[in-house]
Amino acid sequence: MAPRLGLAARSDQDIVALARAGEEGAYRELIRRYERPLFSLLYRMVRDRELAEDLAQETFIKALNAIESYRPEFKFSSWIFKIANNAAIDHLRRRELDTLSLDGSPHAETPEAVEATALQIGDRQESPLDAVEARELGGQIEQAIAQLRPEYRSCILLRHVEGRAYEEIAEILNLPLGTVKTYIHRARNELRQALAHLRQ
Amino acid sequence: MTRDSSASHLGPDELDAWLAGVRVPVLLRHVEECSACLELVRAEEALVGALAALPLPAPRPGFADRVMASVRVPDPFAIRAIQAAQRRLFASRKSVAIAAGLALVLLGSMAASALWTLANRDILVAAGNWLAGEAGRWAWVGLRGAALNLIEQPWFSGFRSLIDAPGRLAVASAAMSLMYLSGVLALRRLLAGPTQRVAHANG
Repeated sequence: MAPRLGLAARSDQDIVALARAGEEGAYRELIRRYERPLFSLLYRMVRDRELAEDLAQETFIKALNAIESYRPEFKFSSWIFKIANNAAIDHLRRRELDTLSLDGSPHAETPEAVEATALQIGDRQESPLDAVEARELGGQIEQAIAQLRPEYRSCILLRHVEGRAYEEIAEILNLPLGTVKTYIHRARNELRQALAHLRQ
Repeated sequence: MTRDSSASHLGPDELDAWLAGVRVPVLLRHVEECSACLELVRAEEALVGALAALPLPAPRPGFADRVMASVRVPDPFAIRAIQAAQRRLFASRKSVAIAAGLALVLLGSMAASALWTLANRDILVAAGNWLAGEAGRWAWVGLRGAALNLIEQPWFSGFRSLIDAPGRLAVASAAMSLMYLSGVLALRRLLAGPTQRVAHANG
């Protein structure tokens, strides 16, 4: 079902109010707005496409079924990112997946499944050469991100991939602002060191 | 932000400000003069740029439908009815007072009823026994009336002679069971979904 005309121009708070009034289109608009940011955060956190999709689905179901408990004085994005991040951290704590699987899900059993679950990098480039370069650079960055501690990974992804403000990250991760800044600086230092060979 | 341009290297907050595009003259001078800070700034800018350029992968098509299949969307008519009732209730002091009065009467009568029940258990038990006895008597009278009515029917003697002989009773039972089974099978076939996909069915 296509989102109702005008919904895309409204604020998150307005859309939430419509969802609370029982408008199904408002629920779909919230999914449309946040499916990519949430999925990509979860994908980079757990490094498994199918698992990331399950966690994203779980996040949306949890958030949308509890939309009555959402407090409009806070940002909707902070609330839903917090639910997603908690889902990812819970999963990482349960199963310590610390090896990178850019080449596909560790659970994939067939070559098709491996290809289907592999992280797609550089698919926005224009020329084939650009695409190859971006894929290589993107791959190195993804690899370096995957080596970070989960807390650093959440912080750096929210700050520099999702473009969230420090204050919002602190709210999402339930951490003091100073800790968030420290984590981001340390994460950037580690990434710089991991990618130093690219600058030679 | 105050700093001596010859002071120590850029701190984390200054680096953040730089990455956010803030160009304080004293910082600019320091970066121009300090090769270590210049290299750091360039490396950080390149890193932040590369991170921002990472693609945002999307879930498989149909993600929203899969989510919505498990989401309980509230009934808008019920919500509107509740909201309208709330608006009417809190429309004026008079309506609030009436609602509060009714609630008070309701609660008061419930409390009084509970108290009376506790104080008059014997009467309630006796009334319950009398009601049960009367209900049993009337049920028995009804049953006898129905049985007498059945016996008086013109077809009853034929039916009685049919079930008197065990052989005939067995044949009649078998015939009825067969009819019942055929009915169940026919109903199952009628209710079963098509085994082959129907063209244009998915639009």
